[in-house]
Amino acid sequence: MEPRLLAWGANSYGQLGLGHKEDVPVPQALEDVSCKCQDIASIAGGGGHSAVITGAGQLFVCGHNKDGQLGLNHTEDVLRFTLCTALSGFCVKQVACGWDFTIILVGSGLVLSCGSNSFGQLGLPQISGPCLIPQKIESLKEKVVSVAAGLRHALAATDSGLVLQWGTGMASQARRASQGKALPVFLTAKEPCEVAGLADVKVKAVAAGSCHSVSLTDEGHLYVWGSNKHGQLVSRNIFLAEPKKIDTQCFSHEKIGAVWSGWTHLVAQTEAGKVFTWGRVDYGQLGRHAVVPSGQQNTAPEHCLELGNTPVSVPCLNGASQIACGSEHNLAIVGGQCFSWGWNEHGMCGDGTEANVHVPKPVKALGCAKQILIGCGAGHSMALCQNSSLDPAHLES
Amino acid sequence: MAVFHDEVEIEDFEYDEETGTYSYPCPCGDRFLITREDLENGEDVATCPSCSLILRVIYDQEQFMRDEVVAEPLPNKELVKC
Repeated sequence: MEPRLLAWGANSYGQLGLGHKEDVPVPQALEDVSCKCQDIASIAGGGGHSAVITGAGQLFVCGHNKDGQLGLNHTEDVLRFTLCTALSGFCVKQVACGWDFTIILVGSGLVLSCGSNSFGQLGLPQISGPCLIPQKIESLKEKVVSVAAGLRHALAATDSGLVLQWGTGMASQARRASQGKALPVFLTAKEPCEVAGLADVKVKAVAAGSCHSVSLTDEGHLYVWGSNKHGQLVSRNIFLAEPKKIDTQCFSHEKIGAVWSGWTHLVAQTEAGKVFTWGRVDYGQLGRHAVVPSGQQNTAPEHCLELGNTPVSVPCLNGASQIACGSEHNLAIVGGQCFSWGWNEHGMCGDGTEANVHVPKPVKALGCAKQILIGCGAGHSMALCQNSSLDPAHLES
Repeated sequence: MAVFHDEVEIEDFEYDEETGTYSYPCPCGDRFLITREDLENGEDVATCPSCSLILRVIYDQEQFMRDEVVAEPLPNKELVKC
């Protein structure tokens, strides 16, 4: 049984890999994937681009390429998944797609980057413009185990548990919030710079929001810093210039096993399998009711802080085997089935409507196909499914 | 009353000199856009060509007009400081 890759949601740049640029409100199978779908090991997306990695470590990309974020040595958008040949000598382990750039972790622990460098987000200060072919970030000396990319910043966690950040995406907000106080260097660095305040912990994974960063330690604790405009950092301050630990009490004292970030909301799963969400809530991002009466939505920070700034468990996601966050929507696999919730204007929740989804619900068009892998870009969704029981009526629409 | 997706300072926008347009990422993958001319005219709503979402631009119109004269000859394509 050959699995199939399906994609849906925003498609302004061909990021769905379907060969066109029309939005797709229900999952559609890709006809022409350059690699064998059974080989796909992970799926990721950025602002307007997508990337899949095969088990053999090949990287396939499609979508927006204005700044060379696909690493294909040109700047034309690409409408179908295409092998990034520049990485042929490497075994790609993880890819983090930022807004208009891409961070690539390869088997040996090296990190490469390509795309826009307007904010120093490539970690390559010697390069002034965009980079159309992935370049090694030479200044990352230590073996890297996890990478993440936000709108205009990126992160890496090393084998010894250090966290490095680069890209100036948070600097202007930090400056406005700091009231003249000097900023930590890592907020303004254009090459990897150690994040201060994490010396006593060992970080094993990182995640990035639009303008915030998250670190998960080997003891199952979360540290967050950056913008707290929507309560995503569980703090009363509008900006955190240095990492702050989220009180374990927020998670009923359970250890966190994994964390994902949307642009302004977070999702964490405890080692026992409970899923907590917090942060921006107004499009249904948190998958739980936070009572926002229609017509009375208010994006004022103090309002959002009240509504979303405490992690709350979402019982229907208990035991999720995978989770992926887009900018304002999410996917999860629970009991072998793909659920979606959040912003849905471009059909990224895959239910054929544009109505936001406030409580996780199964993506019906995927039928009872066994869902293997999921991935999200900002406004789009992707899933790898066993094709035997896909509902053809849904796939053709 | 319009509901803004967000409120963003003009200094956080990227500026394209060729088109005279300021842009900021939209969660759909496209960009919120507002032209220099709009800002000069006191407009403060940036729109996304692919979306219903809108963004309020935080800037000081008088300051913006003053700084523009200075900012014009700079080759910096990425950012125009406010």
